[in-house]
Amino acid sequence: MMNQATNTQTLASLDPNSVESRYVVNASQGQTSSYVPSTAGSEAASWNMYRVDNHSVENGSFSNSTYHHVQQTEPSTRTVQDGSNAASLATSSSLGTTNAQPDYSGYNSYSNSTDPYSYGSTGYQGYYNGYQQQPNPSYSQPVGAYQNTGAPYQPLSSFPNTGSYAGPASYSSTYYNPGDYQTAGGYPSSGYSHQTTTWNEGNYSNYTTHQYSNYTPDTTGAYASGNAATNSLHYQQHYKQWSDYYNPTEVSCAPGTENLSIASKSTQVSQVPGVSGGYATSNSQAPPSFTPSWRPEPSSSQTPSLQPGATVTGGYDSYWKHGASSFQNQHPTPVQQHFQKALDSKPSYDNFQEQQKTACPQGLNLQYPVAQQSSQSYQPPLQTVQSVDTRRVSKVQIQTNPRIASNLPLGLPKMDKDGSNNNTTAKPAYISVSLTKPIEKVLPNDAADSVLKVGMFPKSLKNYVERALGQCEDEKQMAACQAVMKEIITKATNDGTLHTRDWDAEPLFPIPNADMVDKNSNLQNPIPVSAIPKYKSPTKRSKSRWEPLPEEKLLDKLDPVNSYAAKYSSWVHVNEKDRKPAGASSEGKTDIMNSIRFPLMEQKSASKTVQRPVKRQRLADGNAADNGDASSDSDKEQNLTAYYSGAIALANTPEERKRRENRSKRFEKVQGNRAQINHFKAKNAGSGNLYARRASAMVLSKNFEDGGSRAVEDIDWDALTVKGTCQEIEKRYLRLTSAPDPSTVRPEEVLEKALLTVQNSQKNYLYKCDQLKSIRQDLTVQRIRNQLTVKVYETHARLSLEVGDLPEYNQCQSQLKILYGEGIEGCHMEFSAYHLLCVIMHSNNNRDLLSSMSRLSDEAKKDKAVQHALAVRAAVTSGNYVMFFRLYKMAPNLNTCLMDLYVEKMRYKAVGCMSRSYRPQVPVSYIAQVLGFGSGMPTNEGSDEKDSDGLEECVDWLKAHGACLVADSNGEMQLDAKASSSSLYMPEPEDAVAHGDASLAVNDFLTRTSS
Amino acid sequence: MAYPSMGEAHRRITDYLNNFSDAVSDQDVASLAQLFSFSSNSPSLLSLADALNFFQDANRLIKQSDKFSQFGEILAPLFRLLQSYRLGNLVDAYHAFEKFANAFIQEFRNWESSWALQALYVIAYEIRVLAERADRELASNGKSPEKLKGAGSFLMKVFGVLAGKGPKRVGALYVTCQLFKIYFKLGTVHLCRSVIRSIETARIFDFEEFPRRDKVTYMYYTGRLEVFNENFPAADHKLSYALTHCNPLREANIRMILKYLIPVKLSLGILPNAWLLEKYNLLEYSNVVQALKRGDLRLLRHALQEHEDRFLRSGVYLVLEKLELQVYQRLVKKIYIIQKQKDPSKAHQLKLEVIVKALKWLEMDMDLDEVECIMTILIYKNLVKGYFAHKSKVVVLSKQDPFPKLNGKPVNS
Repeated sequence: MMNQATNTQTLASLDPNSVESRYVVNASQGQTSSYVPSTAGSEAASWNMYRVDNHSVENGSFSNSTYHHVQQTEPSTRTVQDGSNAASLATSSSLGTTNAQPDYSGYNSYSNSTDPYSYGSTGYQGYYNGYQQQPNPSYSQPVGAYQNTGAPYQPLSSFPNTGSYAGPASYSSTYYNPGDYQTAGGYPSSGYSHQTTTWNEGNYSNYTTHQYSNYTPDTTGAYASGNAATNSLHYQQHYKQWSDYYNPTEVSCAPGTENLSIASKSTQVSQVPGVSGGYATSNSQAPPSFTPSWRPEPSSSQTPSLQPGATVTGGYDSYWKHGASSFQNQHPTPVQQHFQKALDSKPSYDNFQEQQKTACPQGLNLQYPVAQQSSQSYQPPLQTVQSVDTRRVSKVQIQTNPRIASNLPLGLPKMDKDGSNNNTTAKPAYISVSLTKPIEKVLPNDAADSVLKVGMFPKSLKNYVERALGQCEDEKQMAACQAVMKEIITKATNDGTLHTRDWDAEPLFPIPNADMVDKNSNLQNPIPVSAIPKYKSPTKRSKSRWEPLPEEKLLDKLDPVNSYAAKYSSWVHVNEKDRKPAGASSEGKTDIMNSIRFPLMEQKSASKTVQRPVKRQRLADGNAADNGDASSDSDKEQNLTAYYSGAIALANTPEERKRRENRSKRFEKVQGNRAQINHFKAKNAGSGNLYARRASAMVLSKNFEDGGSRAVEDIDWDALTVKGTCQEIEKRYLRLTSAPDPSTVRPEEVLEKALLTVQNSQKNYLYKCDQLKSIRQDLTVQRIRNQLTVKVYETHARLSLEVGDLPEYNQCQSQLKILYGEGIEGCHMEFSAYHLLCVIMHSNNNRDLLSSMSRLSDEAKKDKAVQHALAVRAAVTSGNYVMFFRLYKMAPNLNTCLMDLYVEKMRYKAVGCMSRSYRPQVPVSYIAQVLGFGSGMPTNEGSDEKDSDGLEECVDWLKAHGACLVADSNGEMQLDAKASSSSLYMPEPEDAVAHGDASLAVNDFLTRTSS
Repeated sequence: MAYPSMGEAHRRITDYLNNFSDAVSDQDVASLAQLFSFSSNSPSLLSLADALNFFQDANRLIKQSDKFSQFGEILAPLFRLLQSYRLGNLVDAYHAFEKFANAFIQEFRNWESSWALQALYVIAYEIRVLAERADRELASNGKSPEKLKGAGSFLMKVFGVLAGKGPKRVGALYVTCQLFKIYFKLGTVHLCRSVIRSIETARIFDFEEFPRRDKVTYMYYTGRLEVFNENFPAADHKLSYALTHCNPLREANIRMILKYLIPVKLSLGILPNAWLLEKYNLLEYSNVVQALKRGDLRLLRHALQEHEDRFLRSGVYLVLEKLELQVYQRLVKKIYIIQKQKDPSKAHQLKLEVIVKALKWLEMDMDLDEVECIMTILIYKNLVKGYFAHKSKVVVLSKQDPFPKLNGKPVNS
């Protein structure tokens, strides 16, 4: 039903581009299809068949056409992306990881701009890239790959399908993000708080949907990764991606989008719609035969789902909080949800892993092989449409779906069922209702939870919402309704009349003007045709996914906290089991899931919620830079809180900690093997581990404070290393006066981008230095020591050399020495040459010189730069000025810059020597030539001109140093050697300062560097 | 090794304790020092260590009687040291030793006379050696070796105890030398300065009153420092002192001194006899000396290249490299002599081309500008008397003593 709604919407709103709308439709259809099967609960066999059929139908007409259209749109999007994105595009094709980044960069750049359009376009582009990459124009092919998997594969296939599904979701999410972002930019504060402005409302709705979409993506996310893996050949890699994916997704929408986009790219964009269809079926097909396949999905989704669920609720919570202070209490509830999810996840988890084992091998092989099957993915759409309709009508079906989707109930019948009773009652409403409903309901739930803690929303209210939404005829209206209802409910909660009011008797408000919503949607989905489809698809999906959440909440309320611990432990057990049996690949995955995901939550919760509640506000306000993330940030916090209690339970046992550490170690090993392929991912994963450790440590410390049962020595302070979450690329350097705040520390990917930005920046040295220092700080704080670190220091060292900022250079150099010492690659030779030059000319310490010379390897001595430096050393120690200035002219790299600093001294010495040795005179022209005057920059101009320039300069210099110049009979300037020998002096530098270092005089420095 | 019986172990331990307290009460430093010098691996100490490892509760024996328990602070860590040392656990041994040494210093401070200096020497020596070995153990375990540094700061403390007025000052130089060894090994030579200042500025105590072996060692190290600073006359003085006072039978020590003294002398224009190099196996210098004699720049460069590692490590590379100018001087002088034989009237005018050609024969490919530059440097540094006429590209030599000898004076710089 949701799908349909969206479809219609898209058609209506997007009229301009019929093609696009179609595309959208397809996507939506794919999604819907997934739902249909679920409701139907068809058997596995039937399921497959079904798919095929759909596929045939769909492909023929819809998919292809849409695809073409999409292509057309391409150019426009490209233009938008242009400069910054271009790089990203190129990279995206090569590596999954790299892809993510480029996209991200693109994203960032857009984020700054208020244009919704641009944003959308970027997302699209990323999407588009995926298309382009695929050799085959046919939409169906990629999909086929996914679905192709044989019977054994099926679980996987279901996975991939979902993955593809996820792909779209991610897409949508990206779109949403932009929307959110934009709004945030425009109304930073308002964006998060629920204000009466229609705009905000619009945002809100988007937001919710967005979250919703996230949720789905999460489940799908796992799938997507799987797909990606298959595509890329390396299954394991996929997983890594997955992990990566998770990290970002959890936290913020923006990262998630990045990842998603990646996945989609790798998998092939086209898949998305079709896939979704597959996915749905898998879910729905709970029936016995299918169970295996089904389970895996849920389980996979589960881990993710935990997060998503949390995020979603979190997001709401945060909104609510901002809107009304009364809501802030919500934290507890999210936590509960958390736990439940964890429980749920457990069973599913097992299944998941098992399946993975089986699936993995096959998965690899199967990926591309079958093009035919791809068509299957398309089939769903047709069905979906129908099914959607039916859904709307019949609430009952929907109910079942949600449960299935949530996975939890099935996997863990005992637990969920109890709790679910409440849910079921409540749920039908949401489900049946289109998007808006679920959202609204959720909100109320949250609010209720937060306020009452008991967490029961008056049923009458739910009914009321249902009624209200029932009025709506299409999605637009629903969105509008939603907005209004939100207001109403918030108001009621604030008033405290939420429970006292007679909702049944409450008059329905008039259906708000759909235009408002449209506006919003327009703003958000600006419109590039390409953008639209994506946008819409997410919304649709989000609705469906959404449903499970409310259930959970209810459950949470019911469940006492104690249960969490138990659940958690069970979860842990699962992990353990998994470890042993599972193959390396599956292990890696599980590890990732466990270590990374979990920890993330913990950490955040611990750090943000516990430590600095104040921060939240800031985040929520959302800098432009934060954009998508900002929203996610607040979500995160909520989630974190939710997880926090769970985390404590987890971290309490030392064994668990150990276990987790072991796990992470193992994970690292696995990574190591594939390290070459994706450095990036590996890093991420590594950081994830860090996270975990830190999180556990934090929890521990917290426990210590609280209960005092733990010794301080038990705290792994190493684990306290910060993991940054800040998504801003630019950041001013500020010397830390307290423990670093993760929200202001940028993670590695962002730092990498920041470095690029600095490198490409046209701004002056001061700015760059400042930026680089802040990058260095972030790296240090996060204890990132890898090639990026080296790159940053190298960049900074070079920059400072160019400007002659020796103190800064020395800092970098000493760090580089250590980094190189650790075996991290970089421009080692270049910098050992710099180091040599530095020692030679600026420290005047023979011992240092000797020791650094003796430390040079034979290899280093063969290096051009090092040889040059050694030659310079020889020239300096022997006072051979001719040699020195020759070397000066042919210095490689930035050796010139370092030599520059010695030129004055060398010239002075040389002239002193000349005036002592030559009689009676030396022509100035000779001096100018030998001492490198006027040859600073070799030009193509006539040598005469150059000479005269140098001559003049030389005359000036000689005069300034007290030399006696005379003109000979030919009018040529000569240095009167004898007279000069006693009159030479070193002029006081004009910019001399009392403290001896002219570069410390700010004004002088500014003028020098800004030029 | 078979374990001793319980009684045997007990007996050995109490023997040791008795020896210790007797030595202290009798101020018998020789036997006291013997009790401390565990690295000598004397059989008595080895058997004591075995006994300690067997008889775990040695501390009880210490506490048994007042005679021992007053030195409990010293003895307990000492026993632990012996145990760990015997077991090959050097890091633990070092920790125990530091505790022991600190306690001993405390006690030593309270003794008016300097009777226990010998024992202190043993401690200063042992702690350095033990620290080095512990560092090796640490390094092999991938940990950062820092014990030697710790030993350095401990010895600084000891130096503080000794350096004041009074009879104990005699021991200061020994500790200083141990410190030098540590600092040179660690490459933290700059830390030597404060110690040196304290030794050299104190007027109360004549340097000559220190024991000779300490003086030689001290002079050797300070001479090396002067080599680093390229203060050749001072280096010459100190190293020569070390050489002349060194026990002539200690050829290894003499060789170490010569290793630095020869380059210093070379830079002062004093060449060693070939037999000296042979006798002390310092043949790496022979080509350098040859090059100086012949004015053979190529030979010098080859010699430097050949032994680059060794010269860099010992720190004389830069010193030797500076001999290049003397080689140039020698070369120019040879040209001058040949010219003089041909045409004495114009001998004092050396054409640049001729020098360039001579260098080319040596396979030194240098152009006019470069050689001109070197000539001006030679004149500037007073290795050649005269001037350079740029217009005609001629080195005009002074008629009197155009190539002054250094005669123990350093090259102007």
